[in-house]
Amino acid sequence: MTVQGQKEKPDMARRRFLTRATTVVGAAVAGTLAVAMVDSLEPTAAEEAGASTVVNLTPIEPGMQLTVPWQKKPVIIVNRVPDMLTTLKMVEAKGLLKDPNSNVPQQPPYCKNQYRSRKPEWLVMVRICTHLCCIPHYRPKKASVTPWWLGGFHCPCHGSMYDLSGRVIKGSPAPHNMAVPEYTFAADGKSVTITKMYPKAHLC
Amino acid sequence: MMRKKGVPVLVGALLSLGVTVAHAGSLISPPGSFSKSTVIAGAKLFADHCSACHAVSNLRYNRLAIDLGMSKAEIKKDIMLPSGANYLNGMKPAMSQAEAKKWFGIPPPNLSHIVRAEGEPWVYTYLTSFYWDPTRPSGWNNRVFPEVAMPNVLASWGGIYTKSGKQLKAGSESPAAYHRQVAAIVAFLRYASDPSIFAREALGPYVLGALVLLSLVSYLLKKAYWKDIDDRRDAEGHINTSAMPKNKTKPDDT
Amino acid sequence: MSKFADWLNDRFPAREMMREHMTEYYAPKNFNILYYTGSLLLFMFFLQLISGFLLMAHYVPTSQDAFNSVQGIMYDTKWGWLIRYMHVDGVSLIFVLLYLHIGRGMLYGSYRRPRELLWIIGYVIYILMMGEAFFGYILPFGNLSYWAGQVITSILHAIPFIGPGLTTLARGGPGIGTATLERFLALHTVLWFLMLVAMILMHILALHQVGSNNPDGIEIKALKGPDGHPLDGIPFHPYYTVKDIFGVAVWLTIFAAIIFYAPTMHGVFLERTTFFRANPMVGLPDVTPPWYLAPYYAMLRAVPNKYWGIGLMALAIVLPFFLPWLDRNPVHSSRYRPVYRAMIILMAVVFFTLAWVGEQPPLPKYFFIERLGAAIYIGFYVLLPIVSSIEPTRKVPERVQA
Repeated sequence: MTVQGQKEKPDMARRRFLTRATTVVGAAVAGTLAVAMVDSLEPTAAEEAGASTVVNLTPIEPGMQLTVPWQKKPVIIVNRVPDMLTTLKMVEAKGLLKDPNSNVPQQPPYCKNQYRSRKPEWLVMVRICTHLCCIPHYRPKKASVTPWWLGGFHCPCHGSMYDLSGRVIKGSPAPHNMAVPEYTFAADGKSVTITKMYPKAHLC
Repeated sequence: MMRKKGVPVLVGALLSLGVTVAHAGSLISPPGSFSKSTVIAGAKLFADHCSACHAVSNLRYNRLAIDLGMSKAEIKKDIMLPSGANYLNGMKPAMSQAEAKKWFGIPPPNLSHIVRAEGEPWVYTYLTSFYWDPTRPSGWNNRVFPEVAMPNVLASWGGIYTKSGKQLKAGSESPAAYHRQVAAIVAFLRYASDPSIFAREALGPYVLGALVLLSLVSYLLKKAYWKDIDDRRDAEGHINTSAMPKNKTKPDDT
Repeated sequence: MSKFADWLNDRFPAREMMREHMTEYYAPKNFNILYYTGSLLLFMFFLQLISGFLLMAHYVPTSQDAFNSVQGIMYDTKWGWLIRYMHVDGVSLIFVLLYLHIGRGMLYGSYRRPRELLWIIGYVIYILMMGEAFFGYILPFGNLSYWAGQVITSILHAIPFIGPGLTTLARGGPGIGTATLERFLALHTVLWFLMLVAMILMHILALHQVGSNNPDGIEIKALKGPDGHPLDGIPFHPYYTVKDIFGVAVWLTIFAAIIFYAPTMHGVFLERTTFFRANPMVGLPDVTPPWYLAPYYAMLRAVPNKYWGIGLMALAIVLPFFLPWLDRNPVHSSRYRPVYRAMIILMAVVFFTLAWVGEQPPLPKYFFIERLGAAIYIGFYVLLPIVSSIEPTRKVPERVQA
């Protein structure tokens, strides 16, 4: 209770303080509710459960590829033969690559190698050109794109070129190597589970 | 004192809210308390005895880690018994729907919402009301769900009884332990049909605390402003409002 | 700051609106607890808009997926349970407030001249709310939704001539299915919602045109001070804004307690039959409406004839529109009309008894209560012109009390 009798002047300082206190507590309540409300628009558990994809590798013959949808994106899985793996050394030797050592984190650390993969023969990569998001053609045959072509990916939109590890070739408009998602092989090596996007990688 | 006029209306409203639709028949509430540990025990029993046939398809296995604090290893070992169970997906039965339909005539229902739909007492009473009835294809009948297709899968614990209550075969568990275990399964199903319950109960005191604080502060604020009016009562209780100060919070309110 | 305010006010009447509706809107100083209901209703309507928007972000209006998408909100969406409980419990609380708000209007004669239109607009809002609640009720597509949809769209069928066509139009097919869900979603979130917004705005504008009534039912505008403002009026802002902020805080505490500790209110706010998937082949053990529509449902059941039953229900819904002209007593507030006051209290008891009986299984043993309740409900409106002409009244004071 406040003191009675002070008829003319209301206690403005008290009012100001209480107005501020109510505003602060009210804003805290409203803010907390707003955070929960926005959070509800995050991907649901159902989306997260559908996020990883298991791909059976047995039907992919040596030298062949399979492109599967994963999180609404095409992922290419190539079973590379030794011949194809030697071309990776050749493009490096010729100095054709923008980022031969994959220094830009376009792949999980365990794929930062010449093959850009966990196992040399298996390439698992998001098949999206880092220039403007087109799907590059898979051109494994030598001289199929240019006379010096050793095999790789060629983008139909603006002509970006990549080697068979998805490393971008100098002179392409694309800035980075193609992105590699996070994945694990089953113990028996017969299937691969693509789990999530490597957080630092840029798609396009 | 004139305020009391709203009261009868309010009382009427509250009366009509408090009335719930009762289930027919006499149902028994499960004994024991509802807690995370009961629910975990119930989940394990459910996995052992019920998940052969019944899905809890809305409840994902990883929710048991989030809501109940079980470890992933524990869930994989004790709960994810049906083959093909995925940690991120809903609880599936071991038996396929087609197989189950062949065995029981109708596919066993998904039990995600069973407690919300039927209530804990019904589920508990149902599970403890099986009796031996040789006229039924499965050999079982149920007092609260006559001619049910489901056999009494818990008979090995609780024993076999006739409709009149005569014991044909003793169970492996004492009656008290048996009823406790059934109650744990019901507790798990209650959680499964309302998985926000632990989060709600954990958050509730903080939310209410913040709102009570807001009520308190805004009450003082209201009091501070209404002082203008309360201070200006004349002998008859009237207020000469036209003589009130021009109390503006901000100068640009005028 | 004031330069910007000037710039703004030259282009948008913010200052004028503030003055007209807040700082120089003079409200009677003697509002009691029932006068919180208006601002709380506005607040709850706003909360329903937010929670409804977020629910719609996850909802799939097909007969195949509707039930699971709503369960997905409960199980898989972050804070989904909070949003759905806010929306579901919010409806019941809105109707609690609506009944208190309407009851207050009846107690203090707030429907009387010059507030007839204010009353009518408000009652239209109430009827629109019943529709809004009904459409929303169907969307989760539990078995209750399915059968409630069947029953209510069949009521349309009884309308002479256009009924059968109207039923098909409402359902969009032979039964309740995807087409029904899609159009009910459109009605719930667009057409009905916008009509409600428009009517609520009109309600507030009409209120500010005629001025607020008060528990004494005395026109405060009749007695003005030398400054031209009502002697018993106080500026809405800051006095009633701070009071309403306090009201909202207390109400939110009640609301949160329900959401966190009794979100289904033992099956009254969220019925158990909503947890079965919609199934045209399996009826419900008992088809009962939500508690806030149950009084009308009880009256529908009170008559053993389809058309007369529906007619009685329609009459019960329509009669309050005529209240401003049925009440003939010069005194407005029931504070000074003991007989009228007793009638209002009886009406409240009857209304909630009908709500209770409407929730019971349709058994003959309830017929007597249903019929007696319906008779009193209708009788109130029939007798009011006579009773209000002859009832004794107490002396009305010249100025508002307390």
